[in-house]
Amino acid sequence: MIAVRKGKTKILIDLSKCGPDGDIDPRNCTKCLKQCDRPVFHLHHVIVDGDDSWDPSYWQVTPVYISQCTRCMRCIDVCPVNAISVSW
Amino acid sequence: MCEWCLKHGDGGKWYFNARNYQKELAEETNAVEHLNDILKVFDRSGVTPVYGMKFAGSGYKLQTPIVGRVVKRIINRVLHNEGPKRKHIGVDGHFGQVLPIEDASYIIENLATEPLTLNYCVCRYMCRGEKDARCLIFGVHSEIVDKIPRYIPENVKRPMDREEATRMLESFSEQGLVSTVWFHPVPFISAICSCENPDCMGIRMRHDYDIGLLYKAEYVIQFNPDLCEGLRACVSACQFGALSFSPTKDMVNVDLDKCYGCGNCRNACQHNALTLVPRNDIKQVAGRY
Ligand code: SF4
Ligand code: SF4
Ligand code: SF4
Ligand code: SF4
Repeated sequence: MIAVRKGKTKILIDLSKCGPDGDIDPRNCTKCLKQCDRPVFHLHHVIVDGDDSWDPSYWQVTPVYISQCTRCMRCIDVCPVNAISVSW
Repeated sequence: MCEWCLKHGDGGKWYFNARNYQKELAEETNAVEHLNDILKVFDRSGVTPVYGMKFAGSGYKLQTPIVGRVVKRIINRVLHNEGPKRKHIGVDGHFGQVLPIEDASYIIENLATEPLTLNYCVCRYMCRGEKDARCLIFGVHSEIVDKIPRYIPENVKRPMDREEATRMLESFSEQGLVSTVWFHPVPFISAICSCENPDCMGIRMRHDYDIGLLYKAEYVIQFNPDLCEGLRACVSACQFGALSFSPTKDMVNVDLDKCYGCGNCRNACQHNALTLVPRNDIKQVAGRY
């Protein structure tokens, strides 16, 4: 088991840069997903009215396992649009 | 035998009970409806609130002793829910167990209902954005996934016959992946996956947060120190960190509490120092899945 860190880590993704409304579709990038050892992030679709529910077209990245972040900052270095911030 | 064997094993292991694969049971458990609802949003399972609880970011809670225990108990109840009112959101009634390649091959050769198809792994896509064809699914499950383009691999024969599917599974095991068999929904069995730590959600939940989404195998590793030559090849074969190398003893140390009983380390050992034995024969880990 991974030890709890004192003080919580905060990870935010700027959806205006990466996501359904952003410049980048995360499905074409996936750099943060691959770079993070744990991995902390999840790639998932967003449910949007009128979208094909069997083949959705809106995707985004969400930090899910935030408590496992080692604060290595590699995701920040690798993100082409600076969409990620990690703080504590 | 674990609690699932007692409930759904008909006297044996749950995943060797032929009834758990059959169409009649799929109908009884509403498997089609369940799979239709769940598979559409499966890659959202890490971010969907289940009964008001959201997994995203709740890791801190799970890791604090008292709060964590309560939350885990609630989540386990949801996962193991067999009631008629279970909702088809999140992962209700979705449960799996690690199994050695021999057992996995036996299921594909004898028990799994056709059509058998190989599909892109949802977990790896969620965690790594990587499309990797690793999940063997059977029967009605295959028919539903046929509707979901993002799970259907290119250049893979669809459906496969039993022999091809078994060979696939064996090659995954040789690559070091861990076979797991899944209720979907309990007690209907519809998938054998080839997973790794930490890219598999099931392994992750169990290994990092001790949530009962995945049980350890019915087996555990037995180490024969007389045969170990200290080559350490097995150490890197274990996905769960159960093996380590001791330079002082010039042989391997085994942590039985960490062993999931997948048997992959056996492939790496040239001296047959590692064998699988039934979990319940070893007092230290008996009944601890
Ligand atoms: S800082 Fe490191 S550990 Fe944390 S999310 Fe980014 S890559 Fe992962
Ligand atoms: S690295 Fe940045 S742009 Fe690429 S998927 Fe991650 S958040 Fe999006
Ligand atoms: S259970 Fe394993 S093989 Fe199946 S989807 Fe998850 S990681 Fe992939
Ligand atoms: S010690 Fe061997 S059998 Fe046990 S989890 Fe590791 S690889 Fe699998």
